[in-house]
Amino acid sequence: MSPLIAGAIHDAKNGLNLLNTWLEEARRASPSPAIDEARAVAARVGAQLVELLALYRAGENNLRLAIEDHDLMDFCQEVTTEIILPPGSKAHIESDVDAVAMLGAWAFDAYQVKLVLQEALRNALRHGKDCIRFAVAAQAGGGLRFTVSDDGPGFPQEVLDGEARAMDSASSGIGLVFARLIAERHATPDGRHGRIELANNSGAVFALVLP
Amino acid sequence: MIDLSKLSGLLIDDIPEMRSSVRIQLADAGLERCDAARNIKEAIEKISANRYDLIVCDYNLGQGADGQQLLELVRRRKILPLTTVFLMITGETGYEQVSTAAEYSPDDYLIKPFTSQTLQTRLERIIDKKQAMHPVYVQLGERGDRQKALAECDAMLAQQSRYSLDLLRIKGELLMEMQRNNDALALYQGILDQRATPWASVGKARALAARGDDAAAREHLDKAIEAYPNYLAAYDSLARLLEKDDPSAAQRVVEQALKIAPSTQRQRQLGALALDNKDFTRAEDAFRRAVEKDRTGFFKSHDDYSGLAKSQVEQGKVQEALAVVKEMGQNFGRSAELTVHQAAVESIVHAKAGNPVAAKAALERALKAAESGEGIAATASLELANACFASGDQEQAKQILQGVAEDHQENDAVLERAQAVFRTAGLGSEGEIFLEATRKRMIALNNDAVALAKAGELERASAMLDEAADRLRNNAQVSINAAIAALMRIQRQGASSELIDKAHRYITQANQANPEHPRLNEAVDLYRKLAPTGAPSLKVGA
Repeated sequence: MSPLIAGAIHDAKNGLNLLNTWLEEARRASPSPAIDEARAVAARVGAQLVELLALYRAGENNLRLAIEDHDLMDFCQEVTTEIILPPGSKAHIESDVDAVAMLGAWAFDAYQVKLVLQEALRNALRHGKDCIRFAVAAQAGGGLRFTVSDDGPGFPQEVLDGEARAMDSASSGIGLVFARLIAERHATPDGRHGRIELANNSGAVFALVLP
Repeated sequence: MIDLSKLSGLLIDDIPEMRSSVRIQLADAGLERCDAARNIKEAIEKISANRYDLIVCDYNLGQGADGQQLLELVRRRKILPLTTVFLMITGETGYEQVSTAAEYSPDDYLIKPFTSQTLQTRLERIIDKKQAMHPVYVQLGERGDRQKALAECDAMLAQQSRYSLDLLRIKGELLMEMQRNNDALALYQGILDQRATPWASVGKARALAARGDDAAAREHLDKAIEAYPNYLAAYDSLARLLEKDDPSAAQRVVEQALKIAPSTQRQRQLGALALDNKDFTRAEDAFRRAVEKDRTGFFKSHDDYSGLAKSQVEQGKVQEALAVVKEMGQNFGRSAELTVHQAAVESIVHAKAGNPVAAKAALERALKAAESGEGIAATASLELANACFASGDQEQAKQILQGVAEDHQENDAVLERAQAVFRTAGLGSEGEIFLEATRKRMIALNNDAVALAKAGELERASAMLDEAADRLRNNAQVSINAAIAALMRIQRQGASSELIDKAHRYITQANQANPEHPRLNEAVDLYRKLAPTGAPSLKVGA
C-alpha cells in the first residue's frame, strides 16, 4: 500500500470521527432509530479503517503494540457497552465474565484487542439469531481466552480452513486478518504468542487467546 | 457514584474546537468548574496557581511539545500533586507512547473519538482509585515518608483492596528505592509466576541489577524488549545498565527508544552518550533536535546548547559553535550560573579551535562569575572544570572537581559526571583515584568528628563540621552531622539561641540537599526533643 493511500485512509478515518461527533450531537438533540443506525455504520467503517491502517503499519514494520496491565472487569464492560445494537434487532449480548474477578488484570494492548473483539461481536450480531455470548476465561496452560459465539449458521468451511476471506459476501475478511495479526503480535519474554481459534458449535465460535 | 460537580478541573488543548467539544462532554459528565489552557505556558501557570482535582490534557499541544512532556515537567517540579487526576487524550497513533511512558505515566488515557459516557465512566473510575489510594499518595508526596507509604500499601493489600495491582507496583518501587532488592525481586517474581507483564519484567531486571547481577538483568531486559518493543521503561533500564561498561551499546538502546517516543530528555541523553563515544555527528544531530524541537522553551536546558557547541567544534565548525554559545545566552534568564556555563563552553570552543588567548579570556570570565555567584549548580561547575582542562589548567580543574565531589558525595549521578570530565580530558584512571581519595577524605572527616566528640572534644568536632557544612551545602550527610553536634552541645551545655539557630539551619540545609536522607529523621527527632518552646519549628519530614 502506498503512503498516499494510507494518508487518504487516515483522512477518511478522521472525517468519520468528526461525523460520529455530529451524530452524537444530533442524537442528543432528538434521538431516532435512523441516527442509531447511522452511528452503528460509522463506528463499523471507522473501525475497519483503523484496522486497515494497522495492517499498513505492520507492513511498513511500524506497528508496535502497547502492552500494559488492564483491569479485565473494566475492559470487558467497555467492550460490550460501546457496541451499538442495530435498532429493531432481536439479538442481545450475554456476558460470561465470572472468571474475571479471579483473574483481576492482564497485560495486553487494550485498544487493538478491543477493536478485535468488537469486530467479532458486530459479526456475531450480523449472523446470529438472538443470543450472542461474550466470555472470558483463563486458558489452560497459561493465557487468557476471550470467546465470542453466536447461534447463526456458523463459519463457512473455507474460513475454518484458514482462508482470509469473507464470512459473507458483504465483508472483505479484513477483520480476521487483523485479528490474526494482533493476536500474533502479543508475545511474552519466554516466547509465547497469542492466536485466534475458529470453530462451529451450534453457531460460529471465535476465540482470541492472549499469552 | 462520584459527584463530579464538586470537583474543579483543567482542560488543556491547543485547538479551540477540541476544547469546546471536550468541555461539553465534561459538562455532560457533571464537571462544571473547569478552566482551560491553550498551551504549555498557560497550563503551567494555571497548575502552579490552583489546586485542581483533575486535569484533562490532549497529547498533541503544538509548538513541538506534547502532553507527556508537560506531565513529566509538572510532576518532576512537584507542582502537580499525585492526588490530582491526570487524564490524557490521544489520537490512535499517540496512545502507545502515552500508555507505556516510562516514568510519570498519566492515570489513564482515552483514545479519540470517545463518547461522553466513556469519558464519564473513566473519570469516575480514576477518581475512585485516587480517593481509595489517597493515604498512599500522601506518603509518596513531598512531605511523605517511605516507611509509612510502605505500611499503607501493606495495610491496603491485607484488606484485599480492589487496587492491589497498583499497590504492588508502588510497593515494588518503594522497595527498590529503599534498596531492599531481595524483597523487590521476590515481589516481581511473585507476579511473573502468575502471568507475564512488562512492569514486573522490568522490575525484576532492575532488582537483579541492583543486586549486582548485571548479566542476568541484561538478558532479562533484552527478552523484555523483544516481547514488549514499545515498553520504554525497558529501554531506559537497559541504557542505564550499559552506560558504565558499554557506552556504545547504551547509545544504540537510546536511539531505539527515540524511534518509539521522541522526547527532548532522550535526545539530550543520546547527545551526551554520543559525545562521550566521540560520535560527534550523531551528538550534534541529537542536541540540535533537543534545541529546535521544543519551541516552548520549557524543556530545554543549558546542557543542550553546550553539548551542541562541543559536538560542532569537534568537527571543526567553530563559527557555528560560537553562534550556539551566543544563542544559549538568549534562551534563558540571566544568572551567574548561565554566565559560568556560557563562558566555560565558549572557552572550550576556542581552546579546541586552537585559540588559546581567546580561550583563556573566556575562562577568566567564567571563573570570576563562579567566584561571585552563590549556588552554582553542579552541571555548570563541571563544565568549568572541562574548560580548565581544555586550557591546560589541570590544577584549577581538579580543585573545582574536588569541590563538586565533596559537595555531592552521596549523589552517584554527579560523581559519574565528574568522572566523565576526567575521561574527556584523557585522565580516566587518574580521575578514579582522585575521586576515590575525595570519598575517603569525606568519610574520614565524619569519622574524625565522631571520634573527637567521643573523646570529649565536642567543641572541636562541632567546629570542624560547621566549617565543612558551610562550605558543602549540598552534602546532606555533613549537614546532618553538624546539626547533631550542635544538638549534643545543647544537651551538654544547655540551649543557647546560637546553637539552636545552628542546628535549625543545618537541618534545613540537609533537607534541601536530600529530603530523603536516611539519617535526616534522627536529627529532626533530636531537635524536636531538645529545642525549648519558642524555638523556630522545622519544616521538614512528616
